[in-house]
Amino acid sequence: MTVIRPSDEYLDQPFWKHLAAGTLHLNCCNDCGGAHHPPSPICPRCRSFDTGWKPASGRGTLKSFAVAEHPVHPMLADQVPYVITLVDLEEGVRMVSGIPKGTEAALEIGMALQCRVVRFDDRFALPYFLPVAGAGEK
Amino acid sequence: MKTSIVGIGQTEFSKDSGRSELKLALEAILAAVADAGLEVDDIDGLVRYTWDHTTEAAIVNALGLDHLNYYGETEFGGVNCCGAVAQASAAIEAGLASCIVFYRTLNARSGVRYGRGERVLAEEDGWLVSRQPEPPGDIYSAPFGLLVPGQHHALYAQAYKGHYGLTDDRFTEMLGSVAVTQRAYANRNPRALLKDRTLDMDDYRAGRVITAPLRVYDYCLETDGAMALVIVSRERARGLSAKAVDVLSAGQYIFPGSVPMYLYAEKAYSLVPEAAGEELFGKAGLSPSDIDVAMLYDATSMMVPLALEDFGFIGRGEAQDFLTSGGNGPGGRLPVNTHGGLLSEGYFHGLNTIAEGVRQLRGESHNQVEAETAFVTLRGASSMILGRA
Repeated sequence: MTVIRPSDEYLDQPFWKHLAAGTLHLNCCNDCGGAHHPPSPICPRCRSFDTGWKPASGRGTLKSFAVAEHPVHPMLADQVPYVITLVDLEEGVRMVSGIPKGTEAALEIGMALQCRVVRFDDRFALPYFLPVAGAGEK
Repeated sequence: MKTSIVGIGQTEFSKDSGRSELKLALEAILAAVADAGLEVDDIDGLVRYTWDHTTEAAIVNALGLDHLNYYGETEFGGVNCCGAVAQASAAIEAGLASCIVFYRTLNARSGVRYGRGERVLAEEDGWLVSRQPEPPGDIYSAPFGLLVPGQHHALYAQAYKGHYGLTDDRFTEMLGSVAVTQRAYANRNPRALLKDRTLDMDDYRAGRVITAPLRVYDYCLETDGAMALVIVSRERARGLSAKAVDVLSAGQYIFPGSVPMYLYAEKAYSLVPEAAGEELFGKAGLSPSDIDVAMLYDATSMMVPLALEDFGFIGRGEAQDFLTSGGNGPGGRLPVNTHGGLLSEGYFHGLNTIAEGVRQLRGESHNQVEAETAFVTLRGASSMILGRA
């Protein structure tokens, strides 16, 4: 199975290290408390440089989704069809995510989703979001 | 703006140009200057996209331009088609240059393809690796297989379909109306890549799904070629033989999460804040009802309903009725993409979108409408209003 991963220099960054350890963390402002994604050196609300990392609730809603039927890379031929999602997290941030291969999910825009971190190896894991009823299944 | 577009030049559109991007650019620039009734040595400014592989220096060296006083670049590619015209106009109004060529050259089918993941991924030890921080194909989206612009468009399309609660049938009819109408325009346009291939609604429905909910006919055509536009002051334009078209207003618009791919924009079913349209129309002293013909950057068919609603040509949620009743077609309330658009003429990163607006106002379109004004936009990121001189 072909998997797409960020290059190693990115996997040393906190977002990816927290995922590899099993949890989704969000880049948060230590002054106003707001979360932002993708990570940034400054808070986009209060412009504080004092930012850190907090565990995410993992709760979100489905903003949109798309089903890739056509493989845009030869190494993805064994992956299609796969589901890409846009998820709005309770913390007020948007994330790109998906549905893990082999998991069936009937999707409807606006439905509640829960994060499930899937580890691929010691360094690399991804935050998928599943409909709430199925989120706890492993 | 107090500028005019006075020249259009281009090569043929093809799937394999058989020559370098530099050579294509030079052919287009010479053709544009000739169309304007100017000399190559009149060029004293150049603008281009940062994504263009052919630099201003390469053009200056190749043409021996010995008094290039201004060169400017706008970020990305087609996103800034009207932004490049705005920057050229600003430079002319500021006295930095007097005759600016905006060029775009690319072998986008025979060379690097925007519709392919190879553009943004490397292969290492059996893994596919992303090492770029910005969409498309960035480290936060590539691992989920979101790699090319056309997949982002499917996300906008699904968000719109869900927001307005459109049935599969209704949604298919709406986008099919865009693809079928524009193909009919292209069938009358000798420049169009798909001039000889007809498309009806049955063909459209039978088209294979690329990324649901979008089908193959919802997508633009990767294209080889080059185009160039010549921009001068309105005053100078009046003394030229070319049929000038005036830039009434032009601008760029960016907001957090909007560029380049709107992944983090609040509404995925509406891409343009109202302020963008108000500012653009305000500067031209016009309103959407004053526009006679619209060129809406259609990297996918979904861009047409979004732009029609976002700029107030129709009300929110009205695109399905407008498009399925032929509002965008010949004799419709607002003919759209009368060259066939990026879907059927060719994907030329906005320059052919602008050029068709110019041709309509010159009276040179192959699908001519009675037009005094033309509107051009790339989903609000850059937009322009053109007027007959």
